[in-house]
Amino acid sequence: MKRLILVFGLLVGWASLHGVPAEELSDQRCKDLLTQLQPGEDAVWRTIPWKLSVLDARREALQQDKPIFIWAMDGHPLGCT
Amino acid sequence: MKERLREYDLGAYPFDQAKLKAEVDRAGTQKKDARYTLRPPENGLVVRVHAKVLGGYEPAKTPSRELFQNAISRDNLWITSAEHEALGAGRVPTSLQHRLARFHLVDNTRGEPPMWKKDEIRQMDLNLKDGVLTGTVRLETEDGKRGYEASLRGRVLSESGKVKQFELVALGEFFGEGTYTRNAPEGRFPLAVTFQLADGNDIADDVAPQGARGWLDGYLR
Repeated sequence: MKRLILVFGLLVGWASLHGVPAEELSDQRCKDLLTQLQPGEDAVWRTIPWKLSVLDARREALQQDKPIFIWAMDGHPLGCT
Repeated sequence: MKERLREYDLGAYPFDQAKLKAEVDRAGTQKKDARYTLRPPENGLVVRVHAKVLGGYEPAKTPSRELFQNAISRDNLWITSAEHEALGAGRVPTSLQHRLARFHLVDNTRGEPPMWKKDEIRQMDLNLKDGVLTGTVRLETEDGKRGYEASLRGRVLSESGKVKQFELVALGEFFGEGTYTRNAPEGRFPLAVTFQLADGNDIADDVAPQGARGWLDGYLR
């Protein structure tokens, strides 16, 4: 019995070291995650008609006689969205 | 800002419209610097990538910390023309597997994460059979301070060799953090990463992958 417990303990230890994922990834779980990991449609920042190019924005602003709102920071444009 | 907008509405904001128009016209004729106008590979694919930490945080003490703890990140995966062709033929090229792991199986929910080096892919298999993607991945830094071990599952639907649907989910345990992704949960925590073919209806679909910034060749290698 002690040997059996030791083997079980070693298996558990090996599994924790080698990171057997704790949760099974079923088809249903995949569908749920694909649905869950979507940005909210009601997020206010998504309602802004962003441009990726400041030059394109400047041309359009001139055509429409509108000011440009610039959100500037260093880093990737999709960072922390 | 309200004051500046009011000045603009009143026409009192000082700028020379004719000069601005001349500048805009001139800019339109100039060649754009390709380093800052990266475009997806021709005949390739753009895939939306989202990640979320599913648990493990201590209760947030500030509203901003709570935002980060609940954040769903966004990036894009670019797939080359040759990889698109391979997927359509029922194969997942090694180049695509490595790019997916190195630049997209990251915890970018609290900021810009460190990407994985090639030799930090300790194990990866991603197989496509009858349209179903299955696999596993284990990533870990040499010092053992950061890692991710996950199962992979998804589907690819192709018509006449063209991919019409690409969905993939990675679900597993992440540990560690990067210089710009501080305040990760202690120890191992569940992280999910999802991939879905972009339809081009979101302006974010046009943003180059973070891993491609300043290093497109290395990203697409």
